[in-house]
Amino acid sequence: MSSAPPKTLLIVDDSRVSRMMIRTLVVARKPQWTVQECESGDEALVRLAQGVPDYVTMDINMPGTIGTDVAERILQAYPQVRMVVFSANVQAAHQARAAAMGACFVPKPVSERNVQLALNFFDGAA
Amino acid sequence: MITLTELQTDALAEMFNVGAGHAAASLSEIVGDEVLLSIPRIAFCRRDEIGASLALLRSERLGAVRQDFSGAFSVNASLLFTEDKALEIVREMLGSQVSVDDLPEFEQEAMCELGNIILNACMASISEMLGVEMTSTLPQYFVNRTETVLDELTSDMQQPVVLVLHIDLTIEKRETHGALVFLLSSASFHELIAAVDRFLARI
Repeated sequence: MSSAPPKTLLIVDDSRVSRMMIRTLVVARKPQWTVQECESGDEALVRLAQGVPDYVTMDINMPGTIGTDVAERILQAYPQVRMVVFSANVQAAHQARAAAMGACFVPKPVSERNVQLALNFFDGAA
Repeated sequence: MITLTELQTDALAEMFNVGAGHAAASLSEIVGDEVLLSIPRIAFCRRDEIGASLALLRSERLGAVRQDFSGAFSVNASLLFTEDKALEIVREMLGSQVSVDDLPEFEQEAMCELGNIILNACMASISEMLGVEMTSTLPQYFVNRTETVLDELTSDMQQPVVLVLHIDLTIEKRETHGALVFLLSSASFHELIAAVDRFLARI
């Protein structure tokens, strides 16, 4: 039994199906975590003013501010957050940008394997 | 109009977005620069409504890359661009390797490759997420008057259901607009939706 306090994960993705899949796969492995969802990066920035999660998964292509810009702003304001850029936009430029800001890039589709990659990155911070 | 639930639409849109993301990465490797490829919305319609659905592509002539996919369901998939945009894309893909005069000679091959990358990436994403296997024919490219292309696309009376996806493709800062058109028989449409429902039930 781990004595580590339960963690909070914020899923930022405009696709409801993607949010559902990430939530389901994470909760199956981390049932003690609190999982929150936002439909856009702009909504996430507002949400963070009310409380900062331990971990974030961030889509890139969303209405409003693109995910990599939001991820960068979050990491500048809250450098303790562990950020996974979880996107179908798998071009080298986006992967390099994620690495440069200290985030981990995980390619979509949302699958058991790819969610595990995200969790490995989060667990590395524990 | 054929209506799907919000979740069914979301699931299909996400599958196409994942496919578009992978296609953009492949194209980016070809042109050596960032490629933006987005599918802002998807909509089903009946065969006789396709003209209205493609109003944004209004042009005298269209270029179409067509590929047929079969497996759990059968789909005739086409990528459409206005002819002038198609040549611009070919120019971006081939860069300085080919002189402007020689471009039309390479149009057929380059557009087939573009269609192959985009259509296969979308169908691969769908088959992977739905857990179904699909095989495809080789891509075919043809250019003709818009009415002729649309008539040709919708000539098969056995395929009354049309899925239209508008795509925005930006290569080397040049923005172009195209469309993906998927034709399905009633049976294939119901197979597709049943597969989407099974996928949603597993979440």
